[in-house]
Amino acid sequence: MKIKSLLIANRGEIAVRITDTAKKMGLKVYGIKTAKEPNALYLRQVDDVIDFSESFDEIPEFLDVERILTAAKKCRADAIHPGYGFLSENPYFAKRCEEEKIIFIGPSASAIYKMGNKTIAKQIAQKHNLPLLQGSQGNVKDPREAIDIADKIGYPVILKAAAGGGGRGMRIVEKASYMEKMFKMAAGESEKAFNDASLFIEKYVRNPRHVEFQILGDRHGNYIHLGERECSVQRKHQKLIEESPSPALDAKLREQMGIAAIKMAEAVDYFSAGTVEFLLDADRNFFFMEMNTRIQVEHPVTEMVSGIDLIEWQIRIAEGQKLTMQQTDIKLLGWSIECRINAEDVQAGFSPNLGIIEKVSFPKGKNIRVDTGITDYSVITPYFDSMVAKLIVHAETREKAIANAIMALRKVWIRGIKTTIPFCLAVLHNKKFRKGDFNTSFIEKEMSKLYYQEEDDEMLAAYVAAFDFAAELETTKSSKPDFERGKSISPWVLNKRLKSI
Amino acid sequence: MKLLKKKDKVPEYIAVTPANKKYAVRNPFSEELRINGHKQDIKIFEDEGFTVIEFNNKKYVAEIIEKNQNKYTVLLNGLSYTFTIESPISYKRRKYLEKFKQVNKTETIIAPMPGKVVELLVEENTKVKEGEPILILEAMKMQNEIIAVVAGKIKKIHVKPGDSVSKDEVLMEIER
Repeated sequence: MKIKSLLIANRGEIAVRITDTAKKMGLKVYGIKTAKEPNALYLRQVDDVIDFSESFDEIPEFLDVERILTAAKKCRADAIHPGYGFLSENPYFAKRCEEEKIIFIGPSASAIYKMGNKTIAKQIAQKHNLPLLQGSQGNVKDPREAIDIADKIGYPVILKAAAGGGGRGMRIVEKASYMEKMFKMAAGESEKAFNDASLFIEKYVRNPRHVEFQILGDRHGNYIHLGERECSVQRKHQKLIEESPSPALDAKLREQMGIAAIKMAEAVDYFSAGTVEFLLDADRNFFFMEMNTRIQVEHPVTEMVSGIDLIEWQIRIAEGQKLTMQQTDIKLLGWSIECRINAEDVQAGFSPNLGIIEKVSFPKGKNIRVDTGITDYSVITPYFDSMVAKLIVHAETREKAIANAIMALRKVWIRGIKTTIPFCLAVLHNKKFRKGDFNTSFIEKEMSKLYYQEEDDEMLAAYVAAFDFAAELETTKSSKPDFERGKSISPWVLNKRLKSI
Repeated sequence: MKLLKKKDKVPEYIAVTPANKKYAVRNPFSEELRINGHKQDIKIFEDEGFTVIEFNNKKYVAEIIEKNQNKYTVLLNGLSYTFTIESPISYKRRKYLEKFKQVNKTETIIAPMPGKVVELLVEENTKVKEGEPILILEAMKMQNEIIAVVAGKIKKIHVKPGDSVSKDEVLMEIER
């Protein structure tokens, strides 16, 4: 069935991103307005806005299955795109869409369910001979059972939330005496975040790389992969810089891992875009971790090297179209890097930096792409995650891509909030990162300072402060009556006036 | 009374960092700008609503994010810097007064972000090593370990499990 109209059940940069492609494809796009962000940028891009801002319901807007479905039916949207997060990996929502005869842009409810439950996913992976880390056959009941398993497979082990993701509900256990405390913490976090305290346990690989494969499958059993994304630059399990390809892979390993990723997708009759995550150890052995059944934040790096619009294919596959390309048609060219720009204060332990964006300016260029949900006067609220933009660059080589990224980041000007740009610059300047020699413990081990600073930065800042102070002092001294008292007057304007006296 | 030396007549503004590093700025508005005695070529101008600094052929964005009398916080290239602006005379007075300041032996542990206290890992009078986790604070759905910034003895605990704390609220005091 041809999709003519689409409701986006999401916000921020991904809502803008989906809107761009959907409009290019000629779809009518609906967005959801919330009271938390009534002036958000995505609402200006969509064709029509559905207003959820009048009532503050118990359930957050983008998680309210029935409310979203009612809205979709009311505006006669053919399909719903869930974006990432929120309802994107909720099998119940996918099923309810089907029942209401609205196309859910994503895989089947059953594929979401199977891959969303880490224990079932591992059982499927095992059945299909994917390499797996040793661990529990299913969930562990209590710290006692966890200790028994850990004794068998050897420490360190990692406790993970069965319903988990995004680094929550995860704890590394170094020895038996820590198990009880860590078990409690992981279960508590998991209960809070996912409403499900169940944990499983597996062997912990020290300093692995996190490498994931982007796959596409249609409803007719055709599958391709679009290469890998290297996501090892993480802080507290949160990805911060991603790239494609990975400096750790060669063509042979890429082929092996790609085949494994497709095997996993086939095992659950997967269709739509999906991501199969692997751990890669220092000896380049790879292990299946999990499959994400949604579009991912870092999907643009794959789009840059493959030239394929993943959102477009999600929509086409949802319509029932067949993939028009085969594995041999996929040519991955050059190198792409994505830097996540979050509203966080890197000088204060990455604490959220809320506020109003007074002014923002992004660089433009052929090899630069900026996916963002903010513009001048956007408000960063505590209700949603802290990501404000993604800067994606592309170049022939990794070296050039890094240089491009540094140049482009220096041209991202944001007034009003602090962001993670100084952190991204610190990574991009790091010697080991530049050599491609890093893993998931990179930030912890290799970065003594989490932000980039040039020698003269402090002096220049001191000059700005002294300049402003001096300018104010000069005006106070002047005998002219101060008609503008109470009004704030820009020191730079003041400077011009002083010079003209 | 000491006579003013000639150079004291030229206004000088001393920006002092919390680490007591000083930047003496002379002639801030002219091409004769000197910082710590060195001639510097720095241009300040407005560009599409941003305050831009040009130095060594590089552009920097700056923003004064806080200003309270002579206390400034400036954001430059995404990082913030705090200064107190002093005149040569007030700077001397400040230096003089510092000699009499007591050495503070108590270190306070403050909440780095708003959140809920989940668990206390120490009791009052517990001896802690630097970097040792002392409290678990839940914020943004994550359980964060708060660590002892210095080695010492826990002097006082101001919170209990279940307490909601705001940013910068004092959690504990450690005596060095």
